[in-house]
Amino acid sequence: MRGTLLRYSMRRALANMSENRLVHLIGIGTMAIAFLIFDAFLLVFLNINYWIEEQGSSLTMSIYFTGDPDKAAVETVSKELLQYPGVTINEFISKSDAMENLKRRLGDKAGLLDGLEGNPLPASLEITLSKGKIEDFPKQLKARLEMLEAVDEVQYSHEWVEKIQAVMGAVKLIGIIFGGLLFLAALFIIINTIKLAIYSRHDEVEILKLVGATNRFVKAPFLIEGSIQGFLGGVTAIVILLLGYLVAITRIDLRIGFASFDIVFLSPQFILLLLLMSIIVGFLGSMISLSRFFRI
Amino acid sequence: MIQFFHVYKSFGSENPALIDVSLTIEKGEFVFVTGPSGAGKTTLLKIIFCAERPTSGYVLVNGRNLTRIKDKELSLLRRRTGMVFQDFKLLPNRTVFENVALALEIMGAPFSVIRKRVHQTLKYLDLGGKEDYRPPQLSGGEQQRVAIARAIINSPLILLADEPTGNLDQDLTVEIMALLKRIHIRGTTVIVATHNQELLKGTRRRVVTLNKGRVA
Ligand SMILES: Nc1ncnc2c1ncn2[C@@H]1O[C@H](COP(=O)(O)OP(=O)(O)O)[C@@H](O)[C@H]1O
Ligand SMILES: [Mg+2]
Repeated sequence: MRGTLLRYSMRRALANMSENRLVHLIGIGTMAIAFLIFDAFLLVFLNINYWIEEQGSSLTMSIYFTGDPDKAAVETVSKELLQYPGVTINEFISKSDAMENLKRRLGDKAGLLDGLEGNPLPASLEITLSKGKIEDFPKQLKARLEMLEAVDEVQYSHEWVEKIQAVMGAVKLIGIIFGGLLFLAALFIIINTIKLAIYSRHDEVEILKLVGATNRFVKAPFLIEGSIQGFLGGVTAIVILLLGYLVAITRIDLRIGFASFDIVFLSPQFILLLLLMSIIVGFLGSMISLSRFFRI
Repeated sequence: MIQFFHVYKSFGSENPALIDVSLTIEKGEFVFVTGPSGAGKTTLLKIIFCAERPTSGYVLVNGRNLTRIKDKELSLLRRRTGMVFQDFKLLPNRTVFENVALALEIMGAPFSVIRKRVHQTLKYLDLGGKEDYRPPQLSGGEQQRVAIARAIINSPLILLADEPTGNLDQDLTVEIMALLKRIHIRGTTVIVATHNQELLKGTRRRVVTLNKGRVA
């Protein structure tokens, strides 16, 4: 009985979709747009989050020297640093090393640097702080180091992370509101396409009831229809997003010349979750549409 | 089998369609419901079929009170009661086979059973070979028989026919009436609503006459 109902409903749903192709295509298209905006937003949001997490797990600090430091100056700063546990000195970058690095990054545009008088780049010590340090240890260390005569300025990645994290709260809130609105928009679209589907088949609905069909039997094809529409809208959105993503990462690679932005696509789990959500939206939309139609 | 107790039915502010109708129809009876146009014949049949609900009074069919029936019971009731509507209520864009099969599909019958039963029933109604036609391609008499086929395919206990000879010529009228008799002989309770007095001439069947909503 269950199996027969499912097979029957599936057949009716597909038959109706192919009979009213245009209405369904428009419905799927508009839903895909709503889902696409949602998915794209999620992609950006997740990437910022990943980035913050990554930064937070390995906190690096650059200590810039005043002028061209001699060995003694570097020694002094290093000794000061080694007093603190959890500090690793990675490398010393002299003024000329810094210039070499910059030239390498610029590649064939390195000629731009030829016009420079002297070397304006500072020498630096690159260090890593192990995680699990007290929250404001980096801030304290920065203050202490900047008091040393040899040190001009100290920068650490956490400064940016802290600022972005502060903004993320607001971004999250906007995301939830915006996502909720898009969800409602997709629901509204489904409700209306299914309403059209019901109207275009109200003779059939009436006759089915007259020959003794249960409400469940009459409703099932519409529920399946809505779910299929939701699913197709969801898949379309993901495919467009993936294509957009692939184009975007190749463009960024070409323009900037180095791939230091590691933009990650949605994980398979997230994709599954989004597709499940789009099916649920489709199902829910048809349920609402049907409940308005069936008062019996 | 069917009992009406002081049934009233009114649609809005107009004169009521049924006024204080009480009657009993036994299992296996063949009953004509007659009266002029607007007398309430269709309304009476629809109430038995639960397509309309009484405004007051109550109706028992097989001991079930129709005034407080839920969706599940309603569908069961309709599977045991076949109704042939005056306008047939066939789906114009489905084939004869599909139209008749509908009454079995809704019960979840397997396709092999559906195919066999539909072919048997169509043959019984002399519609063999018309399976793939669509209703608009058929004559009035043929459409009438398709509607009857759909109504009897579940072997219902009760068959309700609303003006089954409504717009048929003399020969077809005789044919359809003979068919209803055959169905009656198989044990089905048959109720025929008709305003055609010709049909009743010389009948030995029970005749219920309605006039302006009252049983005369
Ligand atoms: N759905 C309806 N809405 C309003 N009035 C109706 C409806 N159905 C029937 N009526 C009215 O009820 C009365 C009886 O109608 P009906 O049962 O169709 O009579 P009959 O079948 O004997 O011609 C008529 O006056 C008709 O206009
Ligand atoms: Mg009538």
